[in-house]
Amino acid sequence: MADTTRHILGSYDAALSALQNDLLMMASLCERNVRNSLGCLFNRDEDLCNVTIADDEEIDQLEKQVDKNGIDLLRRFQPVATDLRHVVAAMKLSGNLERIADQAVNIARKARKLNRAPLIPEVHFLDPMYREVTAMLSDVLRAYTENDIDLAISVPARDKTLDAMNHEITEKLTVQMTKFPERITEYLDLIFIARHLERSGDLVKNIAEDVVFAIAAEDIRHMGAQRPGSAADLLGDKNPDAEAWKAGETLAS
Amino acid sequence: MERTQEITPQPKPAAPLAATEQSQPPASRNAFEVANLDVWYGQKHAVQDVTLNIPERTITAIIGPSGCGKSTFLRCLNRMHELVPRSRMTGSIRFFGEDLYAAQIDPAVVRRRIGMVFQKSNPFPTMSIAENVTVGLRLNGIRNRAFLRDRMEQSLRMAALWDEVKDDLGKPGVSLSGGQQQRLCIARAIATQPEVLLMDEPASALDPIATMKVEELIHQLSRDYTIVIVTHNMQQASRVSDKTAFFYLGKLVEFNDTDQLFTRPREKQTEDYISGRFG
Repeated sequence: MADTTRHILGSYDAALSALQNDLLMMASLCERNVRNSLGCLFNRDEDLCNVTIADDEEIDQLEKQVDKNGIDLLRRFQPVATDLRHVVAAMKLSGNLERIADQAVNIARKARKLNRAPLIPEVHFLDPMYREVTAMLSDVLRAYTENDIDLAISVPARDKTLDAMNHEITEKLTVQMTKFPERITEYLDLIFIARHLERSGDLVKNIAEDVVFAIAAEDIRHMGAQRPGSAADLLGDKNPDAEAWKAGETLAS
Repeated sequence: MERTQEITPQPKPAAPLAATEQSQPPASRNAFEVANLDVWYGQKHAVQDVTLNIPERTITAIIGPSGCGKSTFLRCLNRMHELVPRSRMTGSIRFFGEDLYAAQIDPAVVRRRIGMVFQKSNPFPTMSIAENVTVGLRLNGIRNRAFLRDRMEQSLRMAALWDEVKDDLGKPGVSLSGGQQQRLCIARAIATQPEVLLMDEPASALDPIATMKVEELIHQLSRDYTIVIVTHNMQQASRVSDKTAFFYLGKLVEFNDTDQLFTRPREKQTEDYISGRFG
């Protein structure tokens, strides 16, 4: 998150705090909804499916609030440097978080449908993918809150693992379809859920890229094989030592 | 001798400042090379060990809080600070490779080649609009009326003022609005065809529309001129300049490309200042 050194304008700090608080609330609800969506699938909990679907409304409203706060902040204070990057990142993060929450709703809807049919054992094919998505989301949010550039940089590479898992699960479920054609609808739903998880991974990757930009002012999108593996790779001599930076001479010193 | 041949303000190769010097202009990309500059006003150490190069035909903004030495630094670039009693300086400033403070350099020539626009528009109150523009040329001995008329129109056009004043050229310069007066002063500064324009908060007393007109003018002029602008308005620095220098307590804290300085400053002091954070 942005530097918390006191601003001359208290209202500026308040606006920045409000923006970040709304974003963190949104991130927290989004993370919870992703966990719930898979919980309702693995635990066959219809109530949890309904809660997950209903909770999306709050995330939608928070997305609008973050955008409004961000635009107000840009209009009123014209932030620059780290603050500007964090305001822009917050507005982009909120969009990606909202779309991740939409994926959770899609999963919950599929889970509610699956829960009304007899248990399908292959549902646990999704377990490793679910764990990876929740871990990626958790890590990227921690990278954002702790300004951890190395952690943020590590996340996009994990999206490929998720893609491979999706591919593998789809192949396994396709085999099951041929074996048990009477359950083809349920297998298709599981394939769709894997697809939603894979899509969530893409969105987490977007968030990680925006977090890297917010922290280091470096754009790591669309770099393919050139994508850096660490802050040292990315920044070289420009690598900011966060502690040294914070301890650096200030205008007040 | 009247100099009637220089009507079109084309980018000029930097001529030597010293009248007697016959050497070719150095092939330098820097309009200014400032090294270890220190300036004192009496006991006050206003500028401390500043070293930076200002590339030609770029816009360089100088930002910093009041009293940080930015205006003093600007005035050193055309030796205006020498007009302040008890001022002294050490270090060197080279203008297109030539020592600006060498003994044979005439400060009057320096100030003709390195024009200045001040915070408060200051047209000569007893002169007409046309006379205000051509006063510098006339002071340099130019009397050819056709030449003066051409240069006056050309300068007013470059200052984006011609269309507004072409029918009132005989009216006093002070009859114009504040924004127009400032553009008149810019026209006056460019009438002598300097290579550099120094601007000390040129838009700080103007309304937003007049400010935008001056900013647009600065942008247009940067094709032909090296411009150094002191401003308190960081959005203005961010909008108009290619490079930005941040001064604090007389020292140059950071000199960087403007987009870098306002997106990812190298120094925490810069970040704190441009973000408005103190402690």
